Amino acid sequence: MSTLIIVDQPPYGNWAGREALDMVFSLAAFDQPAALLFTGAGVNWLRKQQAPDAIGQKSVEKNLSAAPMFGVEEILADAASCERFGLGPEQLVSGVTLAENLQDVMNAHSNVAFAG
Amino acid sequence: MTPLNYTLVITGAPWSSQAPQSALAFARELLAAGQRIDRVFLYGEGVLLASALATPPSDEVNWPKRWAGFLADNAIPATVCIASALRRGIIDDTEQARYELPGNNLLEPLGIAGLGEWVEGNVKSDRVIYFHGSN
Repeated sequence: MSTLIIVDQPPYGNWAGREALDMVFSLAAFDQPAALLFTGAGVNWLRKQQAPDAIGQKSVEKNLSAAPMFGVEEILADAASCERFGLGPEQLVSGVTLAENLQDVMNAHSNVAFAG
Repeated sequence: MTPLNYTLVITGAPWSSQAPQSALAFARELLAAGQRIDRVFLYGEGVLLASALATPPSDEVNWPKRWAGFLADNAIPATVCIASALRRGIIDDTEQARYELPGNNLLEPLGIAGLGEWVEGNVKSDRVIYFHGSN
């Protein structure tokens, strides 16, 4: 039984994505298999060298980099969304797997939930 | 038909989203259909549904109160996520003391706890249904 949390919100502007990350970390902390899928504007979470100091926010890169430590199994990015937002492989943070077929990704998990 | 157990997760706030109303209508229908609700979990902006201080004009529905009445009448446990709640100023007496705050406002019969309760619902309930806002 595994849970896929889908983040389709950009990283700054509201807290839904951060709170989705907390959900994934909690699942992992309780030894429940969990994975993250970023799609739509959510793929901007995965952009390297974010600098949100100027808007009074902390970079989400650090939060995200903790995912493997917590035991989150996989960080997936919707390949089509990455292309739409101009995110090539060299702009992506490390440890991200590109997903071509989101239906397959969702079918591989018993629970699927969107972040806020 | 064997009844199923549900966990309902509300992440949309009252008055900026329809999530609390949709969730309440769904919850009433579940019980009417003989289904069971294990727990209601308020997360993100949804925690604002747990404010005992929300005071809409008297000709409008007070959604926190209406939800609290439904939970009490049907003895359904409801949890407010502690991290989401503290961020948004939803405070019980324990947290008031811990952070030396000037007041508390958690609506009974809701309780404050961690995401572990959502994880438990995720594992034990047959269905976990989300009611999101318009983010």
